[in-house]
Amino acid sequence: MSLDLNFVFRVLVFPGFAFILLFTMFCDWVERKIEARMQNRMGPIYTGPVGVLQPLADFIKLLTKEDIVPFNAKNFVFRFAPIVSFSIFVFSFAFLPIDGASVVSGSNFEGDLILVLTLVSIANFLLFLSGWSSTNPYSAIGATRVLTQLLGYDIPLFILALAPAFLAGSLNIAAIANKQYVPFAFLIPWTFALFIINLQAELEKDPFDVPHAETEIVAGYETEYTGRRLAFLKLAKDVQMVLGAAIAVELFLGGPYGPIFYGLSAVWYTLWFVLKLLIVVVVTEYLTCIFARLRIDQVLVVNWKLLLPLALLSLAVTVGVGLWLNPL
Amino acid sequence: MASADKILKALSDSLGKRIIQTRTLQPGKSYIQVQTGAHKDAVRIVLQEDNEAGVSAITGVDLGETIELMYHIRTCDTIITIGAEVPKKDAKIESITDIFPGANFHEREVSDLFGVTFEGHPNPKRLILPEDWPENVFPLRKEVSVANIPSKIGNFGVSKDEKHVSSEERLVNIVLGPQHPALIEPEKFSLRVDGEIVREVEPRIGYVHRGIEKAAESRTYLQDIYLVERICGICNACHAACFCQTVEAIMGVSVPPRARYLRTIILELNRIHSHMLLLGHAGLEIGYETLFHYMWRDRELIMDIMEALTGNRVIASFITIGGVRRDLKEEDVPKIKAELTKLKERLSFYKNLFESDSTLKIRTRNVGVLSKQDALKLGVVGPVARGSGVNMDVRRDEPYAAYNEIPFNVITYDEGDSWARLMVRLDEVGESVNIIQYALDHLPTGPYRVRVPRTVPTGEAIGRVEAPRGELFYYVKSNGTAYPERVKVRTPTFANILSFVHIAEGGNVADVPASFVSLDPCFSCTDR
Repeated sequence: MSLDLNFVFRVLVFPGFAFILLFTMFCDWVERKIEARMQNRMGPIYTGPVGVLQPLADFIKLLTKEDIVPFNAKNFVFRFAPIVSFSIFVFSFAFLPIDGASVVSGSNFEGDLILVLTLVSIANFLLFLSGWSSTNPYSAIGATRVLTQLLGYDIPLFILALAPAFLAGSLNIAAIANKQYVPFAFLIPWTFALFIINLQAELEKDPFDVPHAETEIVAGYETEYTGRRLAFLKLAKDVQMVLGAAIAVELFLGGPYGPIFYGLSAVWYTLWFVLKLLIVVVVTEYLTCIFARLRIDQVLVVNWKLLLPLALLSLAVTVGVGLWLNPL
Repeated sequence: MASADKILKALSDSLGKRIIQTRTLQPGKSYIQVQTGAHKDAVRIVLQEDNEAGVSAITGVDLGETIELMYHIRTCDTIITIGAEVPKKDAKIESITDIFPGANFHEREVSDLFGVTFEGHPNPKRLILPEDWPENVFPLRKEVSVANIPSKIGNFGVSKDEKHVSSEERLVNIVLGPQHPALIEPEKFSLRVDGEIVREVEPRIGYVHRGIEKAAESRTYLQDIYLVERICGICNACHAACFCQTVEAIMGVSVPPRARYLRTIILELNRIHSHMLLLGHAGLEIGYETLFHYMWRDRELIMDIMEALTGNRVIASFITIGGVRRDLKEEDVPKIKAELTKLKERLSFYKNLFESDSTLKIRTRNVGVLSKQDALKLGVVGPVARGSGVNMDVRRDEPYAAYNEIPFNVITYDEGDSWARLMVRLDEVGESVNIIQYALDHLPTGPYRVRVPRTVPTGEAIGRVEAPRGELFYYVKSNGTAYPERVKVRTPTFANILSFVHIAEGGNVADVPASFVSLDPCFSCTDR
């Protein structure tokens, strides 16, 4: 097999690895800046124009720091959980159409929605393992909280993701995005709202940021991590944030598809994708700023007694309305 | 509430010959010296006569051959002191923790610093001094001079009885502190956790013990003002005010009216600054960062006023013996008033927020409940007591500075949970703004200080101030020189810290920071 330059470019540069990495850092900056402005602070300003290079600087700084592995945590899982978790999140992007086409031809297939959601769950489970293998009481409690919360929000998330799939009549992410002449967020706003709330839990943001409630359990599962492992753990969380927002964009906001005014469609598609994703980031940051942190038992009450029934109800309503509008 | 005279009569009736002498420390404050052993009965009688009474502090004084123990009991509108002497060679006295559990820490402190054994104390461990401090060195005894206190002691390690996990009980030991993100200052709380539920709490303080009470004995009264201000950065003006008014009571100096009003202003500024700092910090503890940033931004208004009034943002160095050190400039008054009006607008926003925000409510309502009975039993003070429905405020009960001329309300809430304690503070900020506005409008003219001699006549006095965190207690004994014989400081947090054990046990780990911060702990104060 000869080396296909287009293939290499698409995997490594755009819309693959390099683009995702840089875009993640950009989103991190947007997130920090919005949060800071909402809280009447400045946010990053010194590194690069209006501080846009701050996430990159932070990442490089962590890479240069001393790498300490606690004596009791000298095991395979502790060493590799961050990097594997990071890889899985980046890998999941291969199934999302960012510039209107799949990353490599044929990477999209019927049912990749289920694969992506499963990969996200596995990556989250790896975060649990990273904390569990640290053999530190704070990490252990943080890790059990990750797992408890994972059980709570994963099921509603799957159920909520089914509604757009049903409306589009496909389990292929690209197909779901492509079918949205009117974004599903306007057709089924209740599902979209629930999905965003669920996303807060998935991304461990307020009011669901219990796994690393620093005033209770220091840094939760991250407590024992230092240096480059911590850098990758943090980066994995950031990529997860972008991935979560990207899934919301694909499922509810019509993905990269939007009006093309002139020129290359790939440019316009990327632009629409980025803009829509930033809207989701702004909304999640807004929610983060206006809430206090719930307690783990209260999170579970919200997940099981509120989100799960509501997710089922919204799916039922969507299916009912869908069948009424467009009988089989 | 029983009057002080009635209590004194009851004491003399039932103790009879066991009373050695009765005298007055300063107008309205009686001292009853009883025989060793009768102190417990005396305390019991006072507690029976007034069901809202509590032991405010236990002071030890080295008299040479004997150690005098003073039980200062807060009752009605004054302090009744019950004294007992124990020989230094065989310093033993019966513990009063079974009739007043709140005396627990007071006794342990005296035991640490004076070497008095309290017989029957439930947990006679070290509290203030390090674990490896030499056995028979008791720092506040007079024979121990600063020179022969060991400058370097052994290696301080984790004590042997601490385990992380004990398999048979399935309790995990989570150590909160001495270094922990939820605690700004270092103290240690060992939580024994079963899953997410806290089963036991063991506090250990003393990590920032600086020996200020001892240091005060080797400095002049004037130097001591600056020393006591450094006990606590946040409520520094309260410490200075309390120390100065105690010394003024010994000297019999009366402070000019303008100085009393200026003192009131700085004390109230101190209260606003402290309360807003705490309310913001409470936001941080429950993961509400936005609230934290907003509160601390608005707190800057107060810092600006402090700077205009005293020249300093934090440590005021404003109050001195005989008055205050600077006068308020006439041209600053409108500026201060404008900033206070601005603050008041913000306060209505916060009040609305605390009453309506749902996540804030579910994190603080019914969390860390302290009932009124427990509050009285544990002897808590200040907003913690007022949040549990105990109506006490030194500003009203025993007015100092200009509080007898200024109208204000004492805020109480009956819920006794974290939310109530935070609301007490939020409402008190509003009251403080009113007090300052009233004081600025009615500021008397005239001198702002009187000059006083450097030496203080022989005598002793008690001073009380309502600091932001509660009743601050000073006892100063003078020996006729420029150096005090004994300075006793009982800070509000020292009285409140025991209630943390009570409210944390049985609660959720996630609630520990929220309930802890609602006590407004200040460890620099606690340890001194």
